[in-house]
Amino acid sequence: MTKIFLVEFSLRRPKLVLLLAALLTLVFLSQFPKMRTDTNPKHMLPDTSDVRVWNDKVDKTFALYEDTIVVGVENEVSAAGVLNPDTLGRLARITDAILLLDGVASRDVNGFTTITNVTAEAGTLKVGPLMPAAPKTAAEAKAFERTLFGNPLFVDRIISKDGKTTALYVPLEKGANGAEIAEKLRVIVAKEPGPERYYIAGDPVARDTFGAEMFKLMAIFSPIAGAIMFIAIQLMFRNLALSATMMGVSMVAIIWSMGLLIGVGFPVHIMSSMAPVFLMAIATDSIHIFNEFYFRYRERRGDQDAKLTAIRETMAAVNRPVRYTALATAAGFAVMLFMNIIPVQVFGGLIAFGTIVLRLLSFSFIPAVLTFVSEDKLKAAAEGAARDRLGPALGRLGAFGAARPGLTVAAVLVLAAISVWGMSKIHINNNLVSWFKADSEIRVADTAMNAALGGTSLGYLVVESIEPPPKSLLRGDLPPGGEETLGAARRVSSAPEFMKDPAAMRWIEGLQRHLEASKVVGKTFSVADYVKRINRVLHEDDAKFDAVPDTKDSVGQYLFLFSMSAKPSDLDNVVDPTFTKANVWVQMKTWDADAMRQVIAATAAYQTAHPLPVTVKPAGIAYFNLVWNEEVLGDLVLGFSLALAVVFVILALDFRSLKWALVAYTPLLFTILLIYGVVGFVGKDFDMPLSVMSTLSLGMAVDFAIHFVSRFRQRREEEGARETVAESLAWTAARPGKGIMRNALLFAAAFSVMMAAPLTPYMAVGAFIVAMMLLSALFTLLLLPALVMLGRRWLAVE
Amino acid sequence: MKRWSVLLAALLLPIPALALTGEEAMKKSQAAFLYPGKDFKARVLMKLINRDGQERVRELTMLRRNVGAPGGEQKYFMVFFKPNDVKDMSFMTYKYPAKDDDRWMFIPAVNMVKRIAAQDKRSSFVGSDFTYEDVSGRDIEDDSHAIEREEKVGGRDCYVVKSTPKTGDADFGHKLTWVDKANFLPLKEEQYDRKGARYKEFSADEVAEVKGFPTVVRRTMKNLQTGHRTEVGYSKTDYNLGIDDSLFSERFLRQPPRKWVD
Repeated sequence: MTKIFLVEFSLRRPKLVLLLAALLTLVFLSQFPKMRTDTNPKHMLPDTSDVRVWNDKVDKTFALYEDTIVVGVENEVSAAGVLNPDTLGRLARITDAILLLDGVASRDVNGFTTITNVTAEAGTLKVGPLMPAAPKTAAEAKAFERTLFGNPLFVDRIISKDGKTTALYVPLEKGANGAEIAEKLRVIVAKEPGPERYYIAGDPVARDTFGAEMFKLMAIFSPIAGAIMFIAIQLMFRNLALSATMMGVSMVAIIWSMGLLIGVGFPVHIMSSMAPVFLMAIATDSIHIFNEFYFRYRERRGDQDAKLTAIRETMAAVNRPVRYTALATAAGFAVMLFMNIIPVQVFGGLIAFGTIVLRLLSFSFIPAVLTFVSEDKLKAAAEGAARDRLGPALGRLGAFGAARPGLTVAAVLVLAAISVWGMSKIHINNNLVSWFKADSEIRVADTAMNAALGGTSLGYLVVESIEPPPKSLLRGDLPPGGEETLGAARRVSSAPEFMKDPAAMRWIEGLQRHLEASKVVGKTFSVADYVKRINRVLHEDDAKFDAVPDTKDSVGQYLFLFSMSAKPSDLDNVVDPTFTKANVWVQMKTWDADAMRQVIAATAAYQTAHPLPVTVKPAGIAYFNLVWNEEVLGDLVLGFSLALAVVFVILALDFRSLKWALVAYTPLLFTILLIYGVVGFVGKDFDMPLSVMSTLSLGMAVDFAIHFVSRFRQRREEEGARETVAESLAWTAARPGKGIMRNALLFAAAFSVMMAAPLTPYMAVGAFIVAMMLLSALFTLLLLPALVMLGRRWLAVE
Repeated sequence: MKRWSVLLAALLLPIPALALTGEEAMKKSQAAFLYPGKDFKARVLMKLINRDGQERVRELTMLRRNVGAPGGEQKYFMVFFKPNDVKDMSFMTYKYPAKDDDRWMFIPAVNMVKRIAAQDKRSSFVGSDFTYEDVSGRDIEDDSHAIEREEKVGGRDCYVVKSTPKTGDADFGHKLTWVDKANFLPLKEEQYDRKGARYKEFSADEVAEVKGFPTVVRRTMKNLQTGHRTEVGYSKTDYNLGIDDSLFSERFLRQPPRKWVD
């Protein structure tokens, strides 16, 4: 029997091994207080990524804020909606209190009392706050309602068409704490009780909620998963010391991995917050050690040093599969290091490290602890293990696969065919808001605001002139007039002032109307809207003048007039100082990455139909989500192929046979096929968490096949002369198979907790892993025997 | 003995009649800064500079005529030259103490004179960091003023006056003005928002004597929150030119007399 150095050392110096493990654990534990979380979806891509660099540039060019909290106020009770004196008074007081909050960019808070309105009253042009003071009487409120709906810029932006909902946009200064400000906003609105409903939404709130849920997962759900596993192990082995050892191993691995992550200075992301549950589940692989140890101990009962011999024999028997499953798991996670999404990279590295730690502990910590377990207890537990029904049942399962291989394979193939059909229905999409449950504050707010207003998902289209404009445009756009107008037209069309050109203005206006025809777009907004508004207001509010004027000078003078009284940001947000670029705001009614794709496609179609020497580039958070979505897809393809290749290589190395590697591969492939088939049929969007799961699942699900094939071939070597292939298969399904099934059950038990978690990605991951583990165990124990029987000649097992 | 004690008491007692109150300092400052001469003319070049150093230019001729005494009614007339598309736009203000101003604008592209509401004196003047109030002055009575301390600015002795709005509707919490003790020009001003954070800073960068009136011919207003700033330079500055009251009319707004606006 080969002796493993680490095992021998641990058996001779068990106390030293345990002491070392404890000391190292303390070192890693000491890093925990430094933990910080990062819940900003933007950080999924590195800050050097094109989309982030570009978005930052756009924010800077148009003086936009990275973070804005939206306060929604809804009054379903009053016939006038929010446009009654009471509600308006509350709104005014709320806005005033918000303006005094630290971290709020007060100068650019937009609501009834602060947003710039352009009106003409009694021949006087008025550019100023829409509602400087709240109306006191119903008649005043009615007049205000007319003013409000008189300016189309406001409808769907700060007031719903039915007048029942208004929004207050609260931009935050750079570096402000969104969570704190959101909390203060809740306090402010709580001081104004009435028939109104208040919603606090926006990116910073989502991130805050996200962070809180992440901590919940780590601090509540991980321990629950641990407790469930502990109970399950206890039921399986009926030995507290063993159960405690297994949990101890996973705890140590978790503390080392998380301690390393925090110590190196990485923040905890959504992915790494799941690491404890993953490591706990991966730790269950050591169940194979206990499973085998119990069998061996029973066989050696009565011998001298039965315990130590059993430990040595067990470690020798499971050495190879345990090492290779660890390698496969670690490799499966390590391929994530090649992906583009930072949290996925970090997570991959983290779990790969944790897996290696787990295996190291399997060969040191576990044997060391086993030396301390009293023989009496072991005997009792081993007796208990002997009276089990699971092993024989699994043996019958394997025997069925071996006896009816054709039927088994055919059934699986039919399932696979159906799954392929299901997979064709898979829809790739990311929707950050749907990561929250439907009844969560953030989803409720988002749904309400999307129903009432123009949409909460914001994208930008940056229209930039190309220099020089073609002659045709100059000729086509000449206003009637003499030489001077011609000169003026030539001057206006030169790139720097291009956006003041009526042709450019009308083009942008046309683009807006074209986009608004799309179902996903709720509202658009651009510099053309200001120009049209001023034109109309200057002409006694005559609807005929609700249009872009005919000359560039008019546009320039209107905008100048506007800028004489408006907030600087009003113009800055929609046009750059040199008028070479215009920014079209596009509000979408859904956070689906697909919505932005439609907007971009519609823009391209409009550009083709209406050529103008401009480029249009998308930007904003909605665009970021789209880019990120595509990165996920690219990563998936890359990661999945890498993982497939790496796992295959490891299998081939382990079995020293390509044929066996192929056979061991099959249950895994069918498992994944089946799950994706279900994902397709159910209509669940294929998003970031799922795509990552599919990659890492390869490394975990292949473990069962490695155990099965390794132990089966060992059995053939030892007992091949005395039993048939079918018998060996049944034995493998019964004995190591019991370990496999127990492993799968423990895995499933741990991850089933996540199905009750408060964020949908956690639920999806939980369901995915539970399904994958159970299916892959089932396929391993049923399909592998069938395949081995069918290919026994090819595999040369006879 | 009695006479001595009276003299002693007089020496020891403070002499309030001679010391300047904050309000008086601000009144004198306003008179020196915004009211010198009977009338005034300057070619004004404004550079609006954003955080990245991108510049936009406003160029105009500004004419002013005092109707009453310092602190009283004034009339302003402005004709724009740059940016190019606003050339010939003109702007006129009748400024009244303790009452909303009257403003008119001529828009040549549509050949139209439009009255402009002036309810918000704190809004930006032509997109710059100066507000209308910064340009033409804020009513002294709107704030309470106190001399906080005395300090040197650029080697000149100044009063530092703290002005706090009497009603809470202003968008700023208070401001500090460094008033030159000798000529009463404001050399520096800091505006604080309602949260108590300093957000705007004015500085008189160059003072020149024109017809005996010390005049701030270069000034800067910086917005500390946005990083945006506006630099203003005066040229062809002159006083007491005899600008006629009839200039300040809609007729001349449409067609400003060449001799005043070159």
